[in-house]
Amino acid sequence: MFEFLFKKEQKVQELIFTYLDNLKMTQDHFEKAMDCLFDFGLGENCDFLITQTHKFESRADDTRYEIIEMMYSKVLIPESRGDILKLLESIDVIPNHFETLLFMIQGQKLRVPDFITPDLRQLMKVSLECCDLVIKQVEALFKKTEDIKALVFTIDSHESRCDHIEREIVRKIFDSELDPFQKLQLKELVIHMGEISDQADRVSRSIYIFSIKRRV
Amino acid sequence: MISLLGGIFLGWSLGANDAANVFGSAVSSKMVKFWTAAVLAASFVLIGALMEGQAGIETLQGLTRFTYHQAVIASIAAAFTVTIMTLIGLPVSTSQAVVGAILGVGILNRQLNIAGLGKVLICWVGTPFGGIIIGIIVYKLLAAIANRMNLNLFQADLMLRLCLIAAGSYGAYALGANNVANVTAVFVGAGMLDVFSATLIGGMSIGLGILTFSRKVMETVGKKLVTLDPFSALVVILAEAITVHIYALVGVPVSTSQVVIGAVLGVGIIKGVNTIQRRTLVNIFLTWVITPLVASIFALSLDFATHLRYIPGH
Repeated sequence: MFEFLFKKEQKVQELIFTYLDNLKMTQDHFEKAMDCLFDFGLGENCDFLITQTHKFESRADDTRYEIIEMMYSKVLIPESRGDILKLLESIDVIPNHFETLLFMIQGQKLRVPDFITPDLRQLMKVSLECCDLVIKQVEALFKKTEDIKALVFTIDSHESRCDHIEREIVRKIFDSELDPFQKLQLKELVIHMGEISDQADRVSRSIYIFSIKRRV
Repeated sequence: MISLLGGIFLGWSLGANDAANVFGSAVSSKMVKFWTAAVLAASFVLIGALMEGQAGIETLQGLTRFTYHQAVIASIAAAFTVTIMTLIGLPVSTSQAVVGAILGVGILNRQLNIAGLGKVLICWVGTPFGGIIIGIIVYKLLAAIANRMNLNLFQADLMLRLCLIAAGSYGAYALGANNVANVTAVFVGAGMLDVFSATLIGGMSIGLGILTFSRKVMETVGKKLVTLDPFSALVVILAEAITVHIYALVGVPVSTSQVVIGAVLGVGIIKGVNTIQRRTLVNIFLTWVITPLVASIFALSLDFATHLRYIPGH
């Protein structure tokens, strides 16, 4: 009824959802870029998709800075302000991982050997599912659409699965006859990819804490 | 008008200091702009004084008989007490200073309404306890409502801010209703003002204190409440408003700061944490004893001083 009194808060809410849209776009382009790399290796198409991923990551960053700027103009009560800033900072690590991974492959001209491609695809798929669930969880925090606690459990089980796949890929890499330098390069790639679900799990737990903190 | 200056000064300092108890947390955390809070507080103090300030005035003016001279002395003695004790950093309550000064006048008159004084003393002791009990009840009730509403972060934030503004306005209303008697009751007792003029002048002087000098106190004192979580801060403000309003209906002016301490203690009991230091409780006890004592000594001394006559040749 009195929402017209709180225009800045409404603007922050809109910006958070814009940020989530950009995050989703970054994620979608990352997925396409990775699929392209798995299927055809580095090339013009992949470069274009990497640039697009970077573009949406930058857009997400711009939106995040806009939110931070609004927050410093004393929007919301201090506790909510602090929670939202922490949350955004934590979520923002995820698109940074997407970008780092693609730049790593592009810059180091990495070739993914066929014997780990299915596992890497699987790791990427489960990690990105974690990201989708995190987006859902953020929406649940701001819109009360879903049970936050249930999502924490799902993300946690996905993260455990990612850890398992990650260990399996690293084992396969070091069991192979690849050049030791390439083994280390691939290990770094796998570990970075595993970081996506780890970070999603961290964000998910913070969201849960923010939500239970508000229960009295 | 000049003879009312002591009372007006009391009202002004009351407004400057006590507005922090109702709007301090909202202003110091920048949830509400100072001027919005100040205008709301000043307006509701005046409304509270005009609507329900009569009971307190009747209690205080009934404690003893007042002459014009004694009313002025009582108000100046109370104002002196509040100023000096604040300057030397001792805990002080305007309500207790005023009653102390009236006590001094009563001693001079050798006439005190013991029943009335007993009622006032019981209410003073009951003030922090009232804060504790109402704090606990308000916490339980609001928590049940908040949990049932199942609001998202933005809705909860919006609701909290609106509730802080509403509770602050209600607190200001209760402050005006309860504390206006401190400002002008003695003048009604002396027949210098009728009840309506007393509540109007009292309410306006408290409002003036809020508008001109409450900013710094709101920003510093309010931060102590903000160290509580926002929900608990709301509970404290609402409990304070309800308790002070109840005492306004009973007709005894009380210290809003002591009610706040009680309410914070109540919240602490529910949450199982120690929110108040022992030193604070000792300060309350000292305020009960020292403030009225100092004020009555001031009243007696001022009366003595004003009756000194210079007799040439002696």
